[in-house]
Amino acid sequence: MDPYEIEFLGENRIISVIPNFSYDKIYLICGEFGPFRAGLPLNVPLWLAIMLKQKQKCRIVPPDWMDLDVLENIKEEEKRSRFFTKMPNEHYMVEAKLILGVAAEDVPNSSEIKTIIKDIWDIRMSKLRTSMDALMKSGGSYGRLDHLTLMEINSVKPLLPSAMDDLHRIRTTSKRPTTASLNTSTFSQSGSSQNI
Amino acid sequence: MFAEKVIELLKEAERNPDTIDPFNDEKIRQILEEMHLLFKMNMNDANATNENKSLWTTVQVRHSALERNKRCLLAYLYDRMKKIKTLRWEFGSVLPPDVRELLSDEEYQWFSKYSTNLASYMRSLGQDIGYSGIDLTENLKPPKSLYIEVLCMADHGKLELEDGDVITLKRNSRHFLPTAECQTLIRQGVLKQIV
Amino acid sequence: MDPIDDIELSEEEEEITAETVLKTLQSAWQNERLAPEILPHHNDMVECMLGQIQHMERNINKLPKTDLRASIHKMELSRIKFIICNYLRTRLNKIEKYCIHIINEERQRMESGTNYLTPAEFKYAQEYLLNMESHLKNVVLDKMPGNMQTLELNKMAIYPNLQTHVFLKANDTVSCVVLEDLVGDQDEEIDLEEGSQHILQYKPVADLVKTGKVQLV
Repeated sequence: MDPYEIEFLGENRIISVIPNFSYDKIYLICGEFGPFRAGLPLNVPLWLAIMLKQKQKCRIVPPDWMDLDVLENIKEEEKRSRFFTKMPNEHYMVEAKLILGVAAEDVPNSSEIKTIIKDIWDIRMSKLRTSMDALMKSGGSYGRLDHLTLMEINSVKPLLPSAMDDLHRIRTTSKRPTTASLNTSTFSQSGSSQNI
Repeated sequence: MFAEKVIELLKEAERNPDTIDPFNDEKIRQILEEMHLLFKMNMNDANATNENKSLWTTVQVRHSALERNKRCLLAYLYDRMKKIKTLRWEFGSVLPPDVRELLSDEEYQWFSKYSTNLASYMRSLGQDIGYSGIDLTENLKPPKSLYIEVLCMADHGKLELEDGDVITLKRNSRHFLPTAECQTLIRQGVLKQIV
Repeated sequence: MDPIDDIELSEEEEEITAETVLKTLQSAWQNERLAPEILPHHNDMVECMLGQIQHMERNINKLPKTDLRASIHKMELSRIKFIICNYLRTRLNKIEKYCIHIINEERQRMESGTNYLTPAEFKYAQEYLLNMESHLKNVVLDKMPGNMQTLELNKMAIYPNLQTHVFLKANDTVSCVVLEDLVGDQDEEIDLEEGSQHILQYKPVADLVKTGKVQLV
């Protein structure tokens, strides 16, 4: 999947906004939202929050985790742990990117927050590179990846899976008895098996 | 003599993996000629192999060359079909004349059949519930906003929007259009999104 | 069956909301995008969503063009249309690429009533293969020497690589997934706990993907 599609999935997350207009409940296919009361917070999908914000119809309430102290803790924890720690949600990067992109003024300390999220991402990516390396060295046929978010998983595609595929292919071919390189089958049209 | 021409043909095609070259009629004719020649030589020698065993190897090598020619010719056509398919998704069922020219008559026929098959599949979608089908060549990217600003790259004439408004697309004019309704024109290069 | 059970069952069915259908369709789309092979179709979900879209579009038309609600609904519809189009397009791509293989398998599946393709998709696949065959014949095969003219479909067939590695998240706990070990001849068994994530070969989890026990990510 491309990053746009990961972002698309992340846009389904529910976040809180404070509208500056009043409306009745709105019945969407993905659920009911509202009623909208000017000045009162309510929950909506992220895509809708972004849309309202772009039309200057609301203020976005930063999610609880989008806070310097919370993020500072997460960062420390991430540094200390050998494993991936659990992120506030599986789309933290998408949420951060979109909210800070259109509604930075709604988020206190937005530029520091941006930096610290970037730090966390970097720590995790470097951990990911190390674990990929370890995974390949250990034989590279299976790995457990708890707490990695979609965006992070996507960032190692197609490199990791295809490296594992290659390793698998090398193993299977070296396991099979090697056929003599100059028999008739080499000439014949033998492209029938795995053709990816 | 031994499938060199067909390799030239494949190499030529491989040089431009993203675009389609003119169909190489002449070379294909030559390759088929080579195949007939190889076949004829083998027919002559095959009868003689009973007396002269050393001919057997020669016959086998020629046969392999025939197989190779066949395989590579099919690969050439198959690869072109893949490219022709993408033309359908990019341009729709009507090809611009300069693209049409690159296809052989038979390939154009194949394009039309592909296009018809695709169209009837798309029309069938949701038919059971009284839906008139879905155009799968639309909605390629996740939607970001309902409207986008576009720059017109060519004189295209009038465009009627779903809401009934008619606008004139003139070269260098700018418009604010529903995203869903200008994707095809963007792919065709008539419009360009201003970011 | 007990008639009371019957009623309860149908009531339960009615409770499947459009929201649930949308969620199911979205994960079907994600799986289809990430699985190497074609998966069983979800035509009922697609049609249900198309019905919802149609219904919604009629309602939107009643609202003034500049109404905020109209644009919110439109945005949601274009998101759903994106999923549907991308989902169906992904399937078509696989159908075209693995055409020969898929048609063969599908014929067997149809006998046992476990077809993966919708009737329209199957028709599309057959027509596609027919067109391809006649093109190859007309352009080169028929012009070749006699013994070279046959189109050997089994040699032309392309197969999905089921050994490829995929990422997944377990929706339910699944124990004893067997990972083939080709080197040591010692198969390994792993458990997938609910919510855990793994990278492994597609083949041992193919059925789990199809039954919704795991989600490809």
